[in-house]
Parts: sequence; structure tokens; C-alpha cells
Amino acid sequence: MNARIESESGPVKNRTTVERKSDREVVVTRTINGPARIVFEAFTKAELLKRWWVPRSMGMTLLSCEVDARVGGKYRLVFDAVPEPAAFFGTYVEVKPYSRLAWTNDEGGEGGSVTTVTFEEKDGKTLVTLLESYPTKEALDAAGTGAADAMVETFDQLDELLVALGESSGQ
Amino acid sequence: MTLTGMKKHIGVLERTGLVTTKKIGRVRTCQLGPRRLEEETAWLERYRQRWDERFDELDKVVEELTLKEKSDERKNRK
Repeated sequence: MNARIESESGPVKNRTTVERKSDREVVVTRTINGPARIVFEAFTKAELLKRWWVPRSMGMTLLSCEVDARVGGKYRLVFDAVPEPAAFFGTYVEVKPYSRLAWTNDEGGEGGSVTTVTFEEKDGKTLVTLLESYPTKEALDAAGTGAADAMVETFDQLDELLVALGESSGQ
Repeated sequence: MTLTGMKKHIGVLERTGLVTTKKIGRVRTCQLGPRRLEEETAWLERYRQRWDERFDELDKVVEELTLKEKSDERKNRK
């Protein structure tokens, strides 16, 4: 009965913060309403991970999701992208149950980032701190949200700007 | 693109503040200009939104599992 009342009133939505720590590093934090043990599970079990990892706004469907969350274990996520499916994959480099997780992002070849996540439980809630560390500033700049799309958009805008400026300077 | 064409493009970018250039000897070096700051803010905000959406979904999954665990515990106690 208590559970029903809780879910009806709805848990408080926590804030997600993003901070650029350095040229090559971005830190994301968010408190999740649940114990670290369960949050950790949601990060490391394929059947749970695939339920939340792909935001709707990315406009992609997950075709497959394989996760072997052990040090040296691999993960592989395949998305239904155009013109062909896109795979994201890498290796777990640190797995400390309920407190720390780190993996490499190898789909980009040499320029891949390392993601380190820490889980800190307090009063039944878990503070998730996620550090994305890129090998170079350029690699970080190229990331963001759907790097390719963002770049196309940026170049389109630059094109428009150049045309507008060309016209206004009477060329 | 010809060198003249390139110079023209860079000139336009420089006037808008997207790029600054510096000539040392025969080499002109281009750098991103002050306009970059706005892009940076937009970039961080896109990044934040992506993770925010992800974590909203994670919240739902974790809430469901937490409730399930509580009700399982209750059953086991009986």
C-alpha cells in the first residue's frame, strides 16, 4: 500500500549537471532515486541497460545489446541507424560492484574516450558521477550529441552565414 | 579551392569573430575566435540534455526494481 502512495505522488526529478573539467574531460552528475546496488545493476545488466541507455530524442532503436561487465569483458550495442546499423563497443577496465565502473569506447578507433562512473549511496539514493575522458580536445569537441549530425548542422549554418555575409558585403 | 578563394573565406570568418588569425613570417595561423564561447555553451547544453533524458529513463527502471524488491521482501516475510 505504501508503495502505491509513493509512486502516485511521484519521486522528485533530480537535476543533471554537466561540467567541462578540462580540455579533454566532461563530468556529468545526477542523483538517482534508489540504492547503489540497483543502479549498478541497471548499468551492468544488458536487459536493464537497453531499457534506458537510448534516449528517444536520439531517434535510434537498439537492435542488440551485449554486456559482459567484468574486467576485460566486452560490451556491444548496435543501433538501427541510417544508412547502416551503427555499433558502439568497448572493454570494461574497472568493475567494483556497487561503487565504480569504467569502460573504453572503441568504436572511434584511436580517438576513443574512457568513461568512468562512480556510485555513492546516501539515504537510499545514489549519486552517479560520470567522467568522460577523451585523448585530445579535438576528440571531445567532435563528440557531444550525435557528432556527425551536429557537424552537418554546424556546416549548414556556416554555409548560410557565408552566403548572407557575401551578399551583404556586395560581392 | 584556390589560395585567393581560401583567403576570402578566412576573411569573412575573421570579420564575424568566428576565427582570429596571426601572421608570422610567411605563415598565417588561424584560431577559433570569441564566437566560439556561444557554441561551447550550446554544446554543453546538448550534452546535458542527452544525459538528462537517459537518467530520467534510468530513474524509472531503478524505481521499478526497488518497488519490486520491497514487495518480494514482504512476500518472503510471510
